[in-house]
Amino acid sequence: MILKKILSLGKKEAIAMEGINRHVTLLCDACWKFNTAAEGRNRNLMQTVIEMEREGDSIRREIISFIYRGAFLPYFRPNLCRFVEILDSVFDYLQDAAFNYLIAQLPESIETECNRVAYLNARMCEMLLIMLDALLNQADLREKKLAVRIYEKKIDDIKFSLIETVRKTPVADFWQGRVLADFIDHLTLISDGIEDASDYLEIISMSMRA
Amino acid sequence: MWKVLSGLFLGWSLGANDSANVFGTGVATGVVKYRTAILLTAVCVVLGAYFEGAKCIDTIGELSRLSAQAAFWCGLAAAITMTALTCLALPASSSQAIIGAVLGAGMVSGAADFSKLYKIVICWVLTPVGGIVIAYFLYRVLSAIFDRTIKSLTLRNLVYTIGILASGCYAAYTLGGNNVANVTGIYVGSGLLTTEAAMLLGGFSIAAGVLTYSKKVMMTIGRGIVPLDPFSALVSVLAEAVTLHIFTQIGVPVSSSQAVVGAVVGVGYAGSMKTVSTRMLAKIGFGWILTPAAAGLFSYLFLRISGLF
Repeated sequence: MILKKILSLGKKEAIAMEGINRHVTLLCDACWKFNTAAEGRNRNLMQTVIEMEREGDSIRREIISFIYRGAFLPYFRPNLCRFVEILDSVFDYLQDAAFNYLIAQLPESIETECNRVAYLNARMCEMLLIMLDALLNQADLREKKLAVRIYEKKIDDIKFSLIETVRKTPVADFWQGRVLADFIDHLTLISDGIEDASDYLEIISMSMRA
Repeated sequence: MWKVLSGLFLGWSLGANDSANVFGTGVATGVVKYRTAILLTAVCVVLGAYFEGAKCIDTIGELSRLSAQAAFWCGLAAAITMTALTCLALPASSSQAIIGAVLGAGMVSGAADFSKLYKIVICWVLTPVGGIVIAYFLYRVLSAIFDRTIKSLTLRNLVYTIGILASGCYAAYTLGGNNVANVTGIYVGSGLLTTEAAMLLGGFSIAAGVLTYSKKVMMTIGRGIVPLDPFSALVSVLAEAVTLHIFTQIGVPVSSSQAVVGAVVGVGYAGSMKTVSTRMLAKIGFGWILTPAAAGLFSYLFLRISGLF
């Protein structure tokens, strides 16, 4: 068993990391699609974002089962799995935001700011992909991490202004208000998830270093 | 010839107790499965005993010119002490047990030479100190090399896996080479065994202990003392092996438990982390004092009682 592991020369680990790379790339695509759909008010494109969550789910299952079938030392496995699960929760927020977008009547007063958040989410995701690449090559993550935190701060600022605006917007009934509030919640939670994921990349990098 | 049985019993308890120092951290960090660890340890211990054992056996043989009867009781006293401490999951030192037993026997015959005790105590002190110093330097040097040269995550994972396995095998080899003298050295001195026979019998008896009764202490060492990361586990076992190898070349049998605990402390200093639980260290320290005292007492009592018949 141990000999098999050594002779595989890290093939299992390479496959697991390739899966993680695919997962982050898919999340990136989903975020950009969400941004394009929101800006172009394209309901069909928004529908594809919901479907992408299912694809993300299957990649997550594949990665976790692969890790627990022997990729990486057991010491590193919990952090890698936690990272993948955080990505999955980001997919969930994105799916919920897309679903709420389809059923909500978005007031014009918040549309621009919502589009700005969607754009920043996509940029954050790109930065996460760059961080992952840097991790694979054991490069320094500090600057990339800082960029993620700056994006997150910007989104937090927009979130508070969005809540202020939406609080003053009249709604027709309870459900319209609820869906609108949920949409803003999920849209702004995406960046929190991406920030958590970037934290875990840093933890993985530190635990791997000598 | 049956008088060698007590030595084989001591070898068995040494294997059960000290294999934890070799692959305890490797098993605890999940690099090696327990079964693989004990198989590798057993093979490398026999090889170490065969190729390096003569150096320390000669030293013990010259130190203790016991009669065959006294050698039997000394071996038994040391073995009982080691087994009792293993049952209590305390990492015990066979070197301390056998020296304690030899001194106990010397007290019965009135020929106990306490003047040589200071040399032995110096070695006992130098073992953990050596472990600390070697681990500190290895940690610094290897971390610099690894961080500069290994740039791929998957390669680093592979290097840690191979490194822990290789250092474990090396530590098992040095354990056999160094500690086989504690098991059968006294029988060479008493003329019961030749050096070659002592190396082989001792090596196989240690291997038997590793294969049959080492799980409890291995888990105590691996999980109780330190939650080590793979790199620290690699360095601590490698430092222990280097320490044992140096003492083997000098011809002094020392404690692998003391070497590994020293190495873990050294890793802690180098990595600026708290690697050792104080409670567990106190437990080990208690075992270290208890081992020679209990072995000496047992040996004294056995020889007194056997002298009545």
